[in-house]
Amino acid sequence: MIYVLYVIVSVICIYTARHYWFTLNRLFGFQRHPYIDIDTADWPPVTVLVAAHNEEKVVANILRALMTVKYPDDKMLVIPVNDRSTDRTREIIDEFVERFPGRIRPFHRKDGKGGKAAALKDAMELVETEVILIFDADYIPGAGLVKQLTAPFFDPEVGGVMGRVVPMNCGTNLLTRLLDLERSGGYQVDQQARMNLRLVPQHGGTVAGVRLSALREIGGWNDTSLTEDTDLTYRLLLHGWKTVYQNRSECYEEVPETWPVRIKQIKRWAKGHNQAMVTYGLHLLLGKHRASLRERIDGTLLLGVYIMAPFTLVGWGLALGVFYQGVAPLHGIVAILSVTAYAAIGNLAAFFEIAAAVRLDGSRKRVCLVPFLILGFAVSIFAVSWAAVSQVKDALTGAEFHWDKTERFRKAAS
Amino acid sequence: MSPFFAVLSLILLTGALMVLPLVPALAELHSKSDARPLSVIQQHTGEIRFFADGFRSYMKGLEPALHKCVGSGAHTSGTMPDGSEYLVLGRGEEALLLPFRERNEFRAVMIASGSDLLLPSETNFAKDIYSAASVIGGTENRYRAILAEKDIRLGRGSSVMRWVHAVGEFSADSACRLYGRVSSDTGIRLAAECSFLRLNAPYIAIGPNADPAQDPSQSPAVATAQERLFHEGDFEIRAGEIFLGNLVVRGRLRIGAGARVRGSVKSERELVLEGGASVEGSLISASIMQVGPDCKVRGPVIAERTMLIQKGTRCGTLQNPTTVSAPNIQVEEGVVVFGTLWARDQGQAEVSL
Repeated sequence: MIYVLYVIVSVICIYTARHYWFTLNRLFGFQRHPYIDIDTADWPPVTVLVAAHNEEKVVANILRALMTVKYPDDKMLVIPVNDRSTDRTREIIDEFVERFPGRIRPFHRKDGKGGKAAALKDAMELVETEVILIFDADYIPGAGLVKQLTAPFFDPEVGGVMGRVVPMNCGTNLLTRLLDLERSGGYQVDQQARMNLRLVPQHGGTVAGVRLSALREIGGWNDTSLTEDTDLTYRLLLHGWKTVYQNRSECYEEVPETWPVRIKQIKRWAKGHNQAMVTYGLHLLLGKHRASLRERIDGTLLLGVYIMAPFTLVGWGLALGVFYQGVAPLHGIVAILSVTAYAAIGNLAAFFEIAAAVRLDGSRKRVCLVPFLILGFAVSIFAVSWAAVSQVKDALTGAEFHWDKTERFRKAAS
Repeated sequence: MSPFFAVLSLILLTGALMVLPLVPALAELHSKSDARPLSVIQQHTGEIRFFADGFRSYMKGLEPALHKCVGSGAHTSGTMPDGSEYLVLGRGEEALLLPFRERNEFRAVMIASGSDLLLPSETNFAKDIYSAASVIGGTENRYRAILAEKDIRLGRGSSVMRWVHAVGEFSADSACRLYGRVSSDTGIRLAAECSFLRLNAPYIAIGPNADPAQDPSQSPAVATAQERLFHEGDFEIRAGEIFLGNLVVRGRLRIGAGARVRGSVKSERELVLEGGASVEGSLISASIMQVGPDCKVRGPVIAERTMLIQKGTRCGTLQNPTTVSAPNIQVEEGVVVFGTLWARDQGQAEVSL
């Protein structure tokens, strides 16, 4: 039992060191934004896919925003991917098609497999351009975003691009404020540090882009995946395509406003991520492909982030068990000091990362909310662990993954 | 003290100590003083003409005074609604006679002129300058910002702290320091030893002999969807060779003299484009880059560290402007960039050897 505990603590220490490395890199390291200055170019034709499943509350906002972005009209085609909606989504999209003739080509999907990846896969029959941008329907792109997300594709090594997501309803309640902090940490520090250090920035599947030829080379969208973005990140990496992160390509999104919706969302992410870990983990670390050593290590650690939740719970259980059995961990005062130091500093690494991100964002008072993150952490660790357990159960019983759409909270646009 | 109160006090004290770190959090949660979404406005302020456009709108308030002064040939002064002092000149050459210095202090006054504005030398213009015609500056001046509806000519050793926009041509004499954004609707010409950060114009010519019109070849755009050659380690395209497709090299890349790449290239390390070579797509290095002399690149030219562009090289075309960007850029006389030339940390126009 004690040796399993040692392994768990060692792995957690690796993640702790990783958090600190990323944070210190963001605070003091060289920052890479190689494509952000491309503001003049012979811009390539672009297709913007907007994934929409029962999005009557939000779809008008994104279509309106896309019609005002600064990109040559004749080089940008918007394809709203209406995935089997049963509300007014189709009607709203068709109104926009009429208002902006030639600029929006709707894809109304009436049946077929559920899930975003399946819908995007079907919509590919309408895509003719080399550059594809993807947005979820609840996002609101700014005027310069399409150019910013397209610019990295001038680099022939780039297969995918990811922008930064900024919650727009962060002031609603404690949950949205905590998610706002988490997003800051995840993008402002985590993603940008991976970009700086030439590791593996993650494709988020929205506020994102992908190169058509790269997508074809890796076999298109994987509709068996619950998180098509994670799946895409790793398949691109294994085929020698870079995914780049653009921290200054920001876009507003809506975050969940209730805990049940949040729990459902994070459970889906966890299952999708774990699915990718099982599919690609071993091959990424040890297989023959074009990823560098640092990409192999970081990519493997990234694949493991959600499995760390049940891992940590098991560690806590083992620590208690060891204590009640009277086993002195590592037999000595040094060990006790080490474990205490880990508990005091190690557990705070993620919070330190978020606090640093908030500072980099120039925010002032919201950093005061960092102690409340323990609440979000507690909910997440049990939700993600439960997802992992049910995933194992599903695998054993042969049950299929079920894709849950995240509920929207915005009032329908007029 | 009874044991009951002792225990109760201990519990209360422990509870208070536990709650203490949460007090600021609870206060912020209640007051929501920093609960607005992060401001995502950089796509507007990132536009190079953003400040110039804003200043032009601001100057509309001075239009009546400008018309009046142009008609009478007189000058007038006053205060804008936001409290900024202004000076409107009917005849731009009058500026040469005005005292911009008072008791060793330079006057912080906004200047607007209805005709060509001639500015004295060795003067600090701490407020924005507007001219409905051209601006011709003296030597060793220091400007905050300038907007001219025609040309702008800066004298030797002048510096601009924030931005300049000329509807006509912008030119800077030797050793000027352009710290902010410089844009023109016509063209930009920099003399040697000028430093710059961000330039944008239909053409940007370095040195007196760089000729933007001299561009007979119009290569067609290459399709971005091309075969990609991926190479681990160093790679060389030999002199005079033609390479068709996109090329990604994990090591150093050397493109020999006169070679032609019909696609885009990326090098993870040093990239050298030798004399007379051409690239019809983009040219990207994750490290340092050397281009020229007499090279042609059609697409964006990006280096993540430093870039040297040698004489006679042309980036982009008048019909297809592009971006040249790196943290540090050295450009020699005779170089023409069509579009944007953006040095994040330091750009320097050099005398060609």
